Amino acid sequence: MRFSTGLVAALVGLGVAMSAAAETTLRIFTGGQQRPDVMRKIADEYQKKTPGVKIEVEVGGATSEAQQQYLSTVLSSKDSVLDVILIDVIRPAQWAAQGWAEPLDSYLGADKQKILSQYLKAYVDADQVNGKLIALPYFADSQFLYYRKDLLEKYKRPVPKTWDEMMDTAKVIMDGEKNSNLQGFTTAGSPIEGTVCTYLVPLWGAGGELTKDGKLNLDVAASREPFQLYGRMKQSGVLPKNIAEIPTDRIRIDMQAGNLIFGMTWSYAWNRLENDPDSKVKGKIGVTMLPHDPGGKSATCIGGWQLAVSAFSKNKAEAVKFARWLSTPEVSKMQAIMASHMPVFPSVFKDPDVLKANPWFADALPVVEGAKSRPVSAQYPQVSDVIRSNMNAYLAGTKTTDVALGDMKSRLTPLFK
Amino acid sequence: MSTDAPTPRDLSERALGTLLLLPAALLLLLIVVYPIATLFWNSLHSVDQANPQAGELFVGIDNYTRAFADDRFWTSTLHTVVYIVVTVPGALLIGLGLALLANKPFRVKWPVRLGLLLPWALPLVFAGLIFRWFFEYKTGVVNDWLVALGMDPPQWLSDPTLAFWAICIAIIWKASSFMALMLLAGLQAIPRSLYEAAEVDGATTWQQFVEITLPMLRPAIFVALIFRTITAVQTFDIPYAMTGGGPGDATETLAMYIHKTTLDFLDFGYGSALAALMFVISMVATSGYLRYTRRSAGRSEE
Repeated sequence: MRFSTGLVAALVGLGVAMSAAAETTLRIFTGGQQRPDVMRKIADEYQKKTPGVKIEVEVGGATSEAQQQYLSTVLSSKDSVLDVILIDVIRPAQWAAQGWAEPLDSYLGADKQKILSQYLKAYVDADQVNGKLIALPYFADSQFLYYRKDLLEKYKRPVPKTWDEMMDTAKVIMDGEKNSNLQGFTTAGSPIEGTVCTYLVPLWGAGGELTKDGKLNLDVAASREPFQLYGRMKQSGVLPKNIAEIPTDRIRIDMQAGNLIFGMTWSYAWNRLENDPDSKVKGKIGVTMLPHDPGGKSATCIGGWQLAVSAFSKNKAEAVKFARWLSTPEVSKMQAIMASHMPVFPSVFKDPDVLKANPWFADALPVVEGAKSRPVSAQYPQVSDVIRSNMNAYLAGTKTTDVALGDMKSRLTPLFK
Repeated sequence: MSTDAPTPRDLSERALGTLLLLPAALLLLLIVVYPIATLFWNSLHSVDQANPQAGELFVGIDNYTRAFADDRFWTSTLHTVVYIVVTVPGALLIGLGLALLANKPFRVKWPVRLGLLLPWALPLVFAGLIFRWFFEYKTGVVNDWLVALGMDPPQWLSDPTLAFWAICIAIIWKASSFMALMLLAGLQAIPRSLYEAAEVDGATTWQQFVEITLPMLRPAIFVALIFRTITAVQTFDIPYAMTGGGPGDATETLAMYIHKTTLDFLDFGYGSALAALMFVISMVATSGYLRYTRRSAGRSEE
């Protein structure tokens, strides 16, 4: 006991000594899924070019909602421990309502419009709430169809354009390979944030919209389409039986082990599939637009992570400087090469070094520009909970289309009044 | 002792005693009383952090009437009650077996004691994650065994009934070691002479267990049951780590719903009312035991 007290005292002493040596210590929060190792390297660059500033990287949960649960605790108690926080693209409305983020307009000053015009428009829209700039874009993201190029070539199948083509191709390959570990198609299915997009993508692909003029719009035929699509896939065996247990990163893990033909996931997977030492699919992966209904148009969910400066930070000026540097073409390029994070500047997509690391970025820009956003609401966590838990129950087979859609409608209606 | 008036020395000692108790009392007030009072205050107000402009209005018992009309409150409470009904007796039976085993005169005692302590010392979320891997569809060890036996692998974590049993198994595994520790202490307090006398009288092992061990162990069993029931009312970590409440909200407990209402939806007023209701459930569940122990204590004195 005496020993550990001494140790704590020594550590505290050390901490004090260290913070006295550096003029400012900034703490940035990032999720475990957003490549904290890459954030550390980028922060090291900043420390090198900015003497007197020390950056600490705090790593949070792997899922967007696990991170937000922690952040809600920290920020509801007005804790000043975090300075810059990486937040999901779905959060700015909620953060603006809470007053958790320092509005950045005054820091950009007269140049605001000029600075904002350089970004992808979707992010400028997402990060401004009621005319206030809540966060700066860090990296862009949307869902793509990852596929096994080698298997498609082996069975002489084209890259699928519609969901039915994809199902047929998956079936042919699964029957041909006779490998019981090989799964046809997966997407997020467990009750997590990503499963909201599992519902929305086929809805949009069939021409539907969740809301119209701010009102819920699920009385149209398209709102049944996601359920019917996954129902057909499950029946044919293309969707694995345990789809309701699959979280986002599991798609990447299964693909990396060579056990998945088609996967609907985000841009980060590319870098891991191509570069991880244990990847069995290096050079065998293709990335394309998500399939759609015949006659419909390919749609995808917009993702991406934003840099918010905590309203309770004690070093706001330094924190904003750091956030602004993180939101530059220079850092966008570093992330694209080190983590296949998509740039938030259209110009960086065409950078030769970026294209060398991510050849598929050449066609990715129009996809991101056309990506649609999840409903914008200060009560988004409730909206998300309704959609993902009903989608999850349907995928698990505990609710039928009618029950799941009915529950969705009755619980979403009061949230979109 | 004496009927004399307190001497000045007694008084100053009492004052000193009060003074020495003061820091502990203040700490208790700050750590226990203040949060509970805040919880009740919040439960009577509309504290919606998702809409902070609305302010914190006094709403009386609105949050409570809302809970009674909320399907999700009832289903999550029902799930919690089912977990209590299954895991409390389950953990008691397994724990009693483990305690009896550990009480046997082994030459080397530490492996048994260590085996008893480890599950108890493990954080709940870790236990939940470990069992989630056990019950994983493709890579889990349970399905591996079932496939080896020639059975179809079930989806443990996305079938509501199987997920419920998988969670119960994890909770019982985690809780029975604590039960066993409590019961082992009770077993060791039973005098050997009782068993020696019973053996002289020709009682079988089973008779000794029913006539000596169980009655002598009753106080320890009640204490263990009360502790276990209170923690079972608060069941959160293991289902949170294993299923996240899924499929849908088929395995969601009341504690998980409270967590979601406060930390995800930021509705602290309603969440506080739900927490107050959970407190009532705890009181009801444990007061049953307390009444029973008091009555049986009275009977043994007759």
